[in-house]
Amino acid sequence: MTTLTQEPASATVRQPRGNGLAGTGKLVRFNLRRDRIKLPAWLFGMFLFVFYYGAALPQLYQTEEDLQVITEFTEGAMGAIIAGPGFGLDDPTIESVVAGVYGLYFLLLAALMNILLVSRHTRVEEQTGRSELIRANVVGRHAPLTAALIIAVVANVLLALLVAAAMAAADLDTSDALLFGAGIGAVGLVWAGITALTVQVSAFSRAGSGLAGAALGAAYVIRAAGDTITEGGSLLSWFSPLAWSQQTRPYADGRWWPLLLSVAFAAGTAAVGYVLSTHRDVGAGLMAPRGGSPTAPPWLRSPLTFAFRLHRAGLIGWAAALAVAAAVYGGLTKPIVDAFEDLPETMVDVMGGDPSRMLDGYVSTMALSFAIVLAIFAILGIQAARGEETKGRAEPVLATATSRSAWLGGHITVIATGVVVLLAVAGLVLGIATAISVGDAAYVWDTTVAHLVYAPALLILLGIAVLLFGFVPGAVGATWAVFGFATIVGFFGPIMDLPQWVHNLSPIEHVARLPLEEFSWTPLVILSALAAGLIALGLYGFGRRDLDTK
Amino acid sequence: MTTTIATSGLVKTFGPTRALDGLDLTVEAGEVHGFLGPNGAGKSTTIRVLLGLLRADSGQVTMLNGDPWDDAVALHRRLAYVPGDVELWPNLTGGEAIDLLGRLRGGLNRARRDELIDRFDLDPTKKGRTYSKGNRQKVAIVAALASDAELLLLDEPTAGLDPLMEVVFQDVINQMKAEGRTVLLSSHILAQVEKLADRISIIRLGKIVQSGTLTEMRHLTRTTIEAHTATPVTGLENLVGIHDAEVTDGRVHFAVDGNHLDAAIRHLSGFGIRALTSHPPTLEELMLRHYGDELANNGNGNGAQ
Repeated sequence: MTTLTQEPASATVRQPRGNGLAGTGKLVRFNLRRDRIKLPAWLFGMFLFVFYYGAALPQLYQTEEDLQVITEFTEGAMGAIIAGPGFGLDDPTIESVVAGVYGLYFLLLAALMNILLVSRHTRVEEQTGRSELIRANVVGRHAPLTAALIIAVVANVLLALLVAAAMAAADLDTSDALLFGAGIGAVGLVWAGITALTVQVSAFSRAGSGLAGAALGAAYVIRAAGDTITEGGSLLSWFSPLAWSQQTRPYADGRWWPLLLSVAFAAGTAAVGYVLSTHRDVGAGLMAPRGGSPTAPPWLRSPLTFAFRLHRAGLIGWAAALAVAAAVYGGLTKPIVDAFEDLPETMVDVMGGDPSRMLDGYVSTMALSFAIVLAIFAILGIQAARGEETKGRAEPVLATATSRSAWLGGHITVIATGVVVLLAVAGLVLGIATAISVGDAAYVWDTTVAHLVYAPALLILLGIAVLLFGFVPGAVGATWAVFGFATIVGFFGPIMDLPQWVHNLSPIEHVARLPLEEFSWTPLVILSALAAGLIALGLYGFGRRDLDTK
Repeated sequence: MTTTIATSGLVKTFGPTRALDGLDLTVEAGEVHGFLGPNGAGKSTTIRVLLGLLRADSGQVTMLNGDPWDDAVALHRRLAYVPGDVELWPNLTGGEAIDLLGRLRGGLNRARRDELIDRFDLDPTKKGRTYSKGNRQKVAIVAALASDAELLLLDEPTAGLDPLMEVVFQDVINQMKAEGRTVLLSSHILAQVEKLADRISIIRLGKIVQSGTLTEMRHLTRTTIEAHTATPVTGLENLVGIHDAEVTDGRVHFAVDGNHLDAAIRHLSGFGIRALTSHPPTLEELMLRHYGDELANNGNGNGAQ
């Protein structure tokens, strides 16, 4: 017995070092098994997305002149902001349009895929306590992060190959297809590295992926500003990892070397992630959690104020992000509209048909964009309420004198009010910035109204989510399909030649695009009544079904 | 005595699973009623039906003279609930959660809240996501017990509490009992329920298999004795109140009714006791010896028909 008591001391001295990667291979296989639906869905979805554009664009732009139109549309500040430096668009081909105009959105999706992927296999596991189970086995300190990054590398290589394959499958020129795909995969790698770093900072996965998302937003803004300053990108653009992929100039004068920056940056951020991870305990963050008030503030006393408390942080974040974006886009109104002046006639048709009102066309397009972004807020809000239910936090509340309708109604009221307030914020800031930019104060009011008219249409999307919540709670996510449809019809409807009834299915299509079109109360009243009906029906359904408990 | 909770023939299915299979449960006003059963027997489902969170497929249920589904909000003003698995809001402190839940019920006894936080040694300034399981449980217990509710529905409330806190909890429940409140206390540990409950209902596979006071359910108060003796024990069969006796070379194992314990030990000492352990019956033993066998026999009987 006495010899046994001395054992631990010598054991610590003998502790072998450098086995931090034990079990990595097994974890990779285990994580791949858990991702067997999600990851292939992402990759295949991206493949389809690229293939869709590659196959559809030749149908839309059948002649050289048609293609010239899109070039002129994306030239100048507007093009720099929404597409990028646009290499190869002076003498456009279908391939250079796919890469130069739509490429940016594939980059953003690749970044998003990697943020979710790395966060899911690192911090989410720690937060739920599952990694404690894993780490108690023969699994090294660095194995979980390494396994996540190995999967990310494999996924991004596959993504690059699939994008190239999609170009080939769409029967396009494949000379730069691999370079285009590699650029997308490289952005994925960069955000895998960034996320490996940000998940170390806070003990909570939402903070970690939120920081990585903020980095993506910052990269977008830096690139947009840099590309606006000088055609083809300025020095400022090069501070954004998104620009590195765009600067490979696929289908213009393709070059591979900018991707070296991406790989180096990904490796660097991941390395910092490893270093930071050794400075913390499993499950802990680098930042110590803060304490709070031992009592609730007096106003926190009803289902409504409670719902507000739960959505408050999100509301503030959304308002700040929208205000910044609206200020940027509003401030750039003058140069963008100047660039429109020599648009060909066909493009003028797309922008409303009146060359003297291109400014109004721009404002109405921005209002549509912000409205669609806010649909995301509305759907996420209902999904958050659903999360309260499935995670077991609604149960103790509904065991108090809180009715089902008061509980869900509180969430709906906060989200619906949030939609209106955020539309007003975006509209007001865009309006003020536009008014300053073009020197016409009337735009403050016009732009704000142009945004607010979208509220009833967004409430319909909210109502669809509530209806699903009430009757098929597991399918609340299906609202995203409606959102996707409305987005595609909203942005690309004018150039897609769809039958009218397909347009009519999207609630957003019934909103007048102010200030370009005439304001009309009728559709707003009908949309509002429809939204109210959907919400009422959803509340009724929720009042009749079993609560989902843990 | 008035009846606080009465269910008859309660059935609740989840797909192919019959969670409640004709449950008859009666809880009288002012009693602490132990709701005893193994995991998965249907305790939480019963409580959730009583809370109107789940709707029973068939059967009657009355609580506080109301219908748990239709009168949910009115009834919830008069009751407090502690879930078995407490989840808190990540961004709210424990103190905020306690206040919020109390206010949503319609009021909170401030003095009692502070006293309970003190007695349970809870730090109310920590955010929900940083609490351990035991501390989350404490938050829910304080939120429920700080109310003036006349009925307490407690679903395995002390899972995750350390033994010291368990004692505090028993103290507080006895205080509640003295104030005349009704308590439905579910648990899968007999010893816990035994200390507090006036009456006990035992649930197995969604049915109440036995219900009554502790003295009525004598087999619950029996003591299990295991002894190692110098010479083999004989003559146990002549003693009163001995059950399930087994003698194997030098070892003896039996259960004995409380009022015959003295005689049994006296008898044993004649054989030279070398080692002696005694413990109350565990739920596992009860299920195995009394209910499991009984139900198995019933099952065979049905099969023969």
